[in-house]
Amino acid sequence: MQTEATPAQADVSELDLVKRCQAGDTEAFDELVTRYRTRIFSMIYNMIHSEQDAWDLAQDSFVKAWRSIKRFRGRSSFYTWIYRIVMNVTIDWLRKKQVKGAGAEFDDAVELKEIDPASRTVPKADALPFETMERSEIRARIEKAIAQLSPEHRAVILMKETEQMQYHEMAETLGCSIGTVMSRLFYARKKLQNLLRDVYENI
Amino acid sequence: MKTFEEKWTAWLDGQLSGEELVEFEASLPDKAAAEAEKRDAKKLGVLLRRELGADVLRNEDFFSHQLRERLARESVEPPRKQAAEVSAWWTIRRLFWTGTVSLALFLVFAVFVMREKNPAEQSQYLTQILNARVDPAISPNATISMFEAKEDHVTVLWTEGLQSLPADYAAK
Repeated sequence: MQTEATPAQADVSELDLVKRCQAGDTEAFDELVTRYRTRIFSMIYNMIHSEQDAWDLAQDSFVKAWRSIKRFRGRSSFYTWIYRIVMNVTIDWLRKKQVKGAGAEFDDAVELKEIDPASRTVPKADALPFETMERSEIRARIEKAIAQLSPEHRAVILMKETEQMQYHEMAETLGCSIGTVMSRLFYARKKLQNLLRDVYENI
Repeated sequence: MKTFEEKWTAWLDGQLSGEELVEFEASLPDKAAAEAEKRDAKKLGVLLRRELGADVLRNEDFFSHQLRERLARESVEPPRKQAAEVSAWWTIRRLFWTGTVSLALFLVFAVFVMREKNPAEQSQYLTQILNARVDPAISPNATISMFEAKEDHVTVLWTEGLQSLPADYAAK
């Protein structure tokens, strides 16, 4: 699993930071936020495809983590624990949004991104205009394909492929069995393979 | 017992081994097609990692700053929240006590009124007697004494010197 900190830093002091947080030390919590904010933001963004909403949900997730940090018993890593909060917050948000917009909001989001010149589909490094356009299109295709998955299927495919989490970690994060994770992964992959075959065949 | 989906996923991710792997691969009707699909799944994974793994949170410091502000507000808000809860609780308690006191007052008032009501009924009767007494033409030397035992709800009238009973009383 990737974090912003080096594994040694994370292993040595994470528990210590958590204990300090449990004693009310906000600076220790700030340190944990610094370590995980980018990965958490990225995960949420990949699930919902809206930068502003991903920002807000990441904030909400950290606030919830702070409120409930005293209940963290250290049976799993802090990252797995906070990831569970992140997933609950994000999946709840997606379900509410799908109920409100009958599931069409992500197509709109993709279309908006396509016309937004400052969107994050633009690569960070300097690239030739045609490359930029190609990457932007690929990104839009991927986002559109992911938007067709259920929140749970999005979660497993992203956790597996971008976070490279283990089955048991995903199961713990989502509060389900390993079998359920594997089954969801099966269907999520099948669907994305069908939707993105022409994209990954040409890279 | 794993389902086909679970075994397939484990096989794609290289999580099957030993007898389980041999058994699963033997069960595949078209191993070449399965291998092609496995390669597809790998390519999909590479694509997703390449395209989705590079998202960077812009304005990281502002993100942390905003979060710190929210947490600082939260640490101030709990007393207010607690006060609100206490206030709500007091309101409920106040309602309860107000109700209880009102009921008690009503009961006390009702008892007194009930007690007062009986003498009032008696007083109508007494009034007739007393009205008769004050008429010197009828009973110039009449005296009336009243003895009342409230616990037993008994009133005794002691009359002397009455020439005659009031007409209304006689009628009763």
